[in-house]
Amino acid sequence: MSFTRMMEGNEAAAWGAKLSRAEVVPAYPITPQTELISHIATMIANGEMKAQYIKVEGEHTAMAASCGASAAGARVFTASSSQGIVNMEEGIWMPPGRRLPIVMCIVNRAIAPLGSLRPDHNDSLLQRDTGWIQLYCENSQEVLDTIIQAYKIGEDNRVYLPVAPCYDGYFVSATATPTTVPDQDEVDDFLPPYKHEMYNLMPDEYKAAPAFPRNIAKARYEVQKAMERAKEIVEEVDRDYAKRFGRSYDGFLEEYACDDADAVLVTMGSMTGTARDVVDEMQAEGKKIGLVKLRGFRPFPTEELQELAKKYHAIGIVDRNTSYGSAGGGIVSMEAARALYALDDRPLLLNFHVGLGGSDVTMRQIEYMADKVLEAVETGKVKEVVDWVELHEMGEVM
Amino acid sequence: MKNDQLFDEYYEKSLMQGGTACCPGCGGPTFWRMALEVLGPNTILYGDGPCAGCATRNIKLPRFGLHFSFVADGATGIVAALAAKGREDITVVSGGGDGAIGDIGFGKVSAAAERNENMIQLCIDNEAYMNTGIQKSGLTPFGAWTTTTPQGKENQKKRIPMVIAQHGVPYVATASVAYPRDLKAKIEKAMGIRGFKYIHTVMPCPTGWRFNPAKSIEVVRLGVQTWSWPLYEVENGVLRLTMKPDPKPVEEYLSTQGRFRRLTDEQIEFIQKQADNDRERLLENDGKNIQF
Repeated sequence: MSFTRMMEGNEAAAWGAKLSRAEVVPAYPITPQTELISHIATMIANGEMKAQYIKVEGEHTAMAASCGASAAGARVFTASSSQGIVNMEEGIWMPPGRRLPIVMCIVNRAIAPLGSLRPDHNDSLLQRDTGWIQLYCENSQEVLDTIIQAYKIGEDNRVYLPVAPCYDGYFVSATATPTTVPDQDEVDDFLPPYKHEMYNLMPDEYKAAPAFPRNIAKARYEVQKAMERAKEIVEEVDRDYAKRFGRSYDGFLEEYACDDADAVLVTMGSMTGTARDVVDEMQAEGKKIGLVKLRGFRPFPTEELQELAKKYHAIGIVDRNTSYGSAGGGIVSMEAARALYALDDRPLLLNFHVGLGGSDVTMRQIEYMADKVLEAVETGKVKEVVDWVELHEMGEVM
Repeated sequence: MKNDQLFDEYYEKSLMQGGTACCPGCGGPTFWRMALEVLGPNTILYGDGPCAGCATRNIKLPRFGLHFSFVADGATGIVAALAAKGREDITVVSGGGDGAIGDIGFGKVSAAAERNENMIQLCIDNEAYMNTGIQKSGLTPFGAWTTTTPQGKENQKKRIPMVIAQHGVPYVATASVAYPRDLKAKIEKAMGIRGFKYIHTVMPCPTGWRFNPAKSIEVVRLGVQTWSWPLYEVENGVLRLTMKPDPKPVEEYLSTQGRFRRLTDEQIEFIQKQADNDRERLLENDGKNIQF
């Protein structure tokens, strides 16, 4: 039976894996992912979940075991964070090319040095070129729903790619929000058992290493095409999910309170919740700012962003990540710039670095960023293309 | 005509068809032919070490590999998937070379042993990184020339089989392609045991060891006869020497290979002492439980 109660993000993720009937869970503990795998271990020990839990000795092995199990026909769930994601980097490249629809939660946490246990998005965004579909979640409910959707997307024979539901450590992983756990029969009906077709269909030359370069180019192009097809599937699965379970996340991006907006802020992950309140308050004061929550980062919602650009004069991208020495600003803003470059009439594009190393993204900061975007609309100019918001606050930026 | 027919029949039955990408005289294909005759078709192979990978390229079995640095780990996933599916009838064999098992993936093998994963882990040991052009590994023997030890290796070979035996796994064995009956018996025994089985086999490498490719079997046979490569098994902790030849001087083995050409008399003496010591220790513990 379906039920609703307060639930932390990590517990919701465990429910997501259980309801999806993951059969093999290789995992290695790392803060802030630990409660997730402890919940799964407990569920298996209690007999509530039927799965093989592999207590691996590190993340590199967690990913390798995930690949082995998936190639052998099992539905696989795993999760990690930060250093763990970097540790498994060598393995992270394998599932897309091997077309293994593994689901791995990335519980976002900043990467060392200056190690932090708190979230920013560099760990998952670092994986942007590897061929994993990435969906960023705002709260426990979305985590649970996205995991079920993730299997449906990844295992679709038009896709056959791994999927990473990402959510911020602590702000989502350890914060209890009301969460509805759907009925198992309903989920079973929505998500049939994993039919393992793709790997066996792969010609031998793709399995061998080293492969001939010609085959590599072809295999990579196929992954690219699958990524492109995934754009439609992500939307389709979200629509179907809404029909059955009554909850939708608007596919790749959600426009919040944008009806009368001249400009928008684009946020990802947990900061979106705070931003919703700020935008509401600012609109009550007559300021024409709207909010866009970027849920899907891979495949990147290029067309959707171009549509936004037609409606709003300025777009402020909030990057909870760094890309040192980049062409300009954070990773999301660079992607956005490329997407918008194709337009004849480009909007003003602003970029903010905020919440790095897991510092709070405060209401004041969001208001500050919104004001900057509105100021750009008013003056028709961007004063500061890349704005390190917290350093501004500390008076550190000249 | 009769010979052709015999060959065709053998070829038809063989799980290894279509030649190999290995160097002439490589022990890899020889090992796999013997092993596959015992393992049979109900086997999944895991592992992607370059040399071991070349040897397995034309094996007609379900095969999965990621990259050479991934040892035992993907096989762990396969074992778990089979358990989830309730398949008890399949042997999972995880292969790797000495570099993968002794160096970069050592922790992985150790962890799979600790978890007692239901698989046969093979170490196909040619005593250096041969595919990349003969670089020293942790399992290169003392004094051996490689391109990264141009003066000969300063340190000893890691005793991996004994290290794995101390994990308390049900079965550990050493093997050599020069002794097919012994090798096959060990694989057959491993197939009948549940849990982590470790078989460490020598893979003669004419390219890296510097000898005539026609002499592969002779060279590794001398390895056993000089007790440079003792053949034993450790079953549930109990050591059993499966071959106890009258010891020949190690020099007979060393002199067959160009990689030992620069050894001084003192170094040969040191290697001889070590072989003697190992032999004595092994004979002393033959039939005894050696797990602490």
